[in-house]
Amino acid sequence: MSIPRQIDADLSIEKKDKRRRLSLDKQEARAAFVFVLPFFIGFVIFGLAPFFYALYISFMDFNSFKSLDSLKWTGLSNYKAIFHDSVALSSYFKSFYYTVIYVPLLTAAGFTAAVMLNKTFHWKAFSRSLFLMPYVANIVAISIVFTMLFDPFGGIVNTVLMKMGVENPPLWFAGSGTAILTTALVAVWANFPFQMIVYLAALQGVPSDLYEAAEIDGASRWQRLTRITLPLVSPTTFFLVITATIGSFQNFTIFNALTRGGPGIASRVSSLNIYEEAFSLNHYSYSAAQAIVLFVIILLISAIQWGGQKKWVHY
Amino acid sequence: MGALLARKNLSTTLYSILMFIIALTMISPFIFMISASLKTTADAFDDPLAHIIPKTIYWENYKTLFSSPDYFIWIGNSFKVVVLSILLRGFMVTMAAYAFARLNFKGKSLLLFFSMSTLAIPSDTTVVARYLMYKYLHMLDTHWAIIIPAIFDVFFLFLLRQFFMGIPKEITEAAIMDGCSHYRVYFRIILPLAVPALLTMVIFSFVFIWNDFAGPYIFISSQEKQLVTVGIQYFSSIAGANYSLQMAGASIVVLLPIILFTFAQKYFVQGIASSGVKG
Repeated sequence: MSIPRQIDADLSIEKKDKRRRLSLDKQEARAAFVFVLPFFIGFVIFGLAPFFYALYISFMDFNSFKSLDSLKWTGLSNYKAIFHDSVALSSYFKSFYYTVIYVPLLTAAGFTAAVMLNKTFHWKAFSRSLFLMPYVANIVAISIVFTMLFDPFGGIVNTVLMKMGVENPPLWFAGSGTAILTTALVAVWANFPFQMIVYLAALQGVPSDLYEAAEIDGASRWQRLTRITLPLVSPTTFFLVITATIGSFQNFTIFNALTRGGPGIASRVSSLNIYEEAFSLNHYSYSAAQAIVLFVIILLISAIQWGGQKKWVHY
Repeated sequence: MGALLARKNLSTTLYSILMFIIALTMISPFIFMISASLKTTADAFDDPLAHIIPKTIYWENYKTLFSSPDYFIWIGNSFKVVVLSILLRGFMVTMAAYAFARLNFKGKSLLLFFSMSTLAIPSDTTVVARYLMYKYLHMLDTHWAIIIPAIFDVFFLFLLRQFFMGIPKEITEAAIMDGCSHYRVYFRIILPLAVPALLTMVIFSFVFIWNDFAGPYIFISSQEKQLVTVGIQYFSSIAGANYSLQMAGASIVVLLPIILFTFAQKYFVQGIASSGVKG
């Protein structure tokens, strides 16, 4: 008598458990809905929609003040116009030139600083926090300082250079050949701490017995750096190069603060040209088309970098 | 042995001094800025390297600054925007991150992939579209044009999701089995345990939103609604040739995030290291 009853009881517990599981699953699904929905709605409106809207506008004729109802579809004409616009075309080359200077310098600076800090020495924590400070600097405010420091006539940098006997010091931000380069240098100063911290974290992951073994085998400091450290942190380098490249094309703030595209249009990079077309000339559709082309260029460069990683990234 | 040790000590000391000098070079623009803000323009620029620590401190620049009503309004506006953005972002992003880290629901990985892929879209690509959208939503020239889009940030969603996944599952599962609702688990267990990650988010958000230029520059047009990063540019054109006054204006804008950073450096470094290595 007692045994079937026991089974009965077991069954009912199992049933109860199952029911409870089911209600837990239901509760989970409901909770997920409540937790995700607000974020998701906002994300669709403010994160996703602008991209598709930009794509849409780039095919319209919204190139002057007019109401949205009167817009007409113009196909690829905005895109075609870019290829006949020497200012727009050269702005892409200027952006590319900036990236080619900025990304290698930034990566090298971040790596060098990390290797130098990755030792034991006195006041290490203090020195490291000073190294980090440029990263939190307000670039617009600090640009006022850099503009004065690098003023070609009477700025500190050139005053010192002339005292040292340099007869024709560079014009820095005011020189058509040096404006982009000088801006890239300021950008490297402001952004290398990010690369440095990521490299420092990666260097902690390099096993120290590798260095010990190499030292016993008589490897020099330089050999240890190039044969052990560099290959072992190459996945980090890859990540940093890819993200820095994408970020380097978003340079509106720093160029607007330091050169405003000048002298003339010598440093009018693509981001500046996009803002200029949209907000000074009200060429919204044309500006959107230029922005989409910039996006495609960034995608292509990222894809090339992605494909090239087999050659030098060791996982 | 003693000689070797002494030599090692000496080289460590020399290395420490070298590193300290390099570190000072890194922050030399700040030093120059603060130094110039405490002098008259004439003193600051006639022989700028002569007295980095001024012989007599000249406070007039800061007095002029503090009596300029615009400057205060801009700082206040920036604080308002930063605080509201962080609060709302903290709320929305942690909720979604909890769901992505701990709950099972349909389309979860697709949704995550979708959100992550928007990180590859540069903000310049969408600036025209955003401008026109905000115009029709009547958000232009209001602080909401900066705050609302800042709330739905995918980067922090990913960062917090990573952190939540690291919290032992046993803790939350036991609570659920004991009949605790997901809302209670989120508020009472996950959020308190996630304080370090939340601090990382707070300090990063503060620095990024405070330093943002393009957003307020494009979307805010009234001078009295402007934020300080754009305001400082107006200010420097008004101050004109009064360079040391410009330096005083720049100093306050630069120093506020640096002070915050000095206190919360640990979370800042952890944040960068985790986002970088895992990304």
